[in-house]
Amino acid sequence: MAKETRIILICSGKGGVGKTTLTANLGIALARQGVPTAVLDADFGLRNLDLLLGLENRIVYTAQEVLEENCRLDQALVKHKQEPNLALLPAGNPRMLDWLKPDDMKRIVSMLSELFEYVLIDCPAGVEDGFKNAVAAAKEAIVVTNPEISAVRDADRVIGLLNTQGIKPVQLVLNRVRPKMMATQEMLSVEDVTDILALPLLGLVLEDEQVIVSTNRGEPLTLSSSNSPAARCYSNVAQRLQGDDIPIIDPSKEGSGMRDKLKRLMQTKIF
Amino acid sequence: MTSINGNQMQVRSERQVINLPFSRDSDWKTFLPKKLKVLKKGYLEIHCQDWVLNCRDLLYLKNFFENAGITITTIRSYISETIVSASALGFETDLILEKFTKSSSSLTKESANKNHPTGLSFHQGTLRSGEHLEVEGDVLLLGDVNPGAQISAAGNVMVWGRILGIAHAGKSGKTSAKISALQLRPVQLRIANKVARGPEEKPEEGLAEEALIVADKIVINPLKPCFQKT
Repeated sequence: MAKETRIILICSGKGGVGKTTLTANLGIALARQGVPTAVLDADFGLRNLDLLLGLENRIVYTAQEVLEENCRLDQALVKHKQEPNLALLPAGNPRMLDWLKPDDMKRIVSMLSELFEYVLIDCPAGVEDGFKNAVAAAKEAIVVTNPEISAVRDADRVIGLLNTQGIKPVQLVLNRVRPKMMATQEMLSVEDVTDILALPLLGLVLEDEQVIVSTNRGEPLTLSSSNSPAARCYSNVAQRLQGDDIPIIDPSKEGSGMRDKLKRLMQTKIF
Repeated sequence: MTSINGNQMQVRSERQVINLPFSRDSDWKTFLPKKLKVLKKGYLEIHCQDWVLNCRDLLYLKNFFENAGITITTIRSYISETIVSASALGFETDLILEKFTKSSSSLTKESANKNHPTGLSFHQGTLRSGEHLEVEGDVLLLGDVNPGAQISAAGNVMVWGRILGIAHAGKSGKTSAKISALQLRPVQLRIANKVARGPEEKPEEGLAEEALIVADKIVINPLKPCFQKT
């Protein structure tokens, strides 16, 4: 492969802030731009990246079988139905909890990097063994956090650990932003978060009910040409990751335009 | 330990070492041209002994040697001020903590009294949540102490940045220790065995502050314009 593969860890420290959702949407968005992308679910104890991508029923082998040479890598890779540029590799089986080591992770990622331009690693929550495994293979990282004090605190801890591991660059995605609450200062502002974490901001993702719908359907938002707020944000993040210069949305201006108001009115269901 | 002998110089042949004369012996500026003749082009480590050198002095040194094709890599010194200037200029630094005694005829090292530590330690970079910097002596941090992080020292805690986490000065009981920072908004402050919660209201920005014990209580005052050694 001419270009060097970018191996990006997606982590947060705290659980439930949107690591897996970001991984799935970013993976699809990159694949739609024509980039061969692999998503590796390093959260094998509680894996659910396959659910979000709607690929649960297609998993036969995992990275574990590949490493034990019970199957070939291409057999374990699950190609996405609509986006053939995207492939999922589950790291392991929930039933086997302690087989994976940092070296295994490095081996599997180096195999993937021969085939793909992007490898996105979905990191488990926490900073224990699962995190250490996932970090071992990564070169750069995206830290996901919410504008909440606990999520920011955990993200800060994770960034400290990433720095000691020599992971560079580390970028920030602020997820579940509610512009209205930020305006009334009921929620940490973007500045509050970047002030503490001191990371370059890769993007904001707006709070959006459609995320829940898409998660349950197993169809990431970026898959359809949906124009929901979060879908736009995710594709912006993907483009910015590719080096395109796209302005980061300004939450104070979001949703105040006439068109946005009308759109919101159309989406509101009145019974 | 005051002189680095010739053997060590040869071990790392690419990096040469010179010692400046002690301040009572002769001036370092007059000493330099003599020394230049014996040095080869390449990298140089300078032991500044007991000289208090500011950034201008160090830049003078840097330019002086660069003209001769020598690059300074490391500055060693007994004096914390020199080390501060050197790190500000981006040199590798090494503070030699063993107490240097001016009555040099007897180079006896003063037994370091644990309650009155004299060394200054440095740390560059922000302390993030979960990190704990612990130092025997004074500590100077270039960076912030984020919420959830802790900095503690047996002597004073000085932070060129914000304290948003926990700071503990005089951790082995020195009640005269102080905590100073560009912005003091800690979760908790501790001096010796006293503990105080951080102020509820936000302090005015742009004012450096210091915390110290006054009448058995920790109080925060605006920082005095000059740093006084205690």
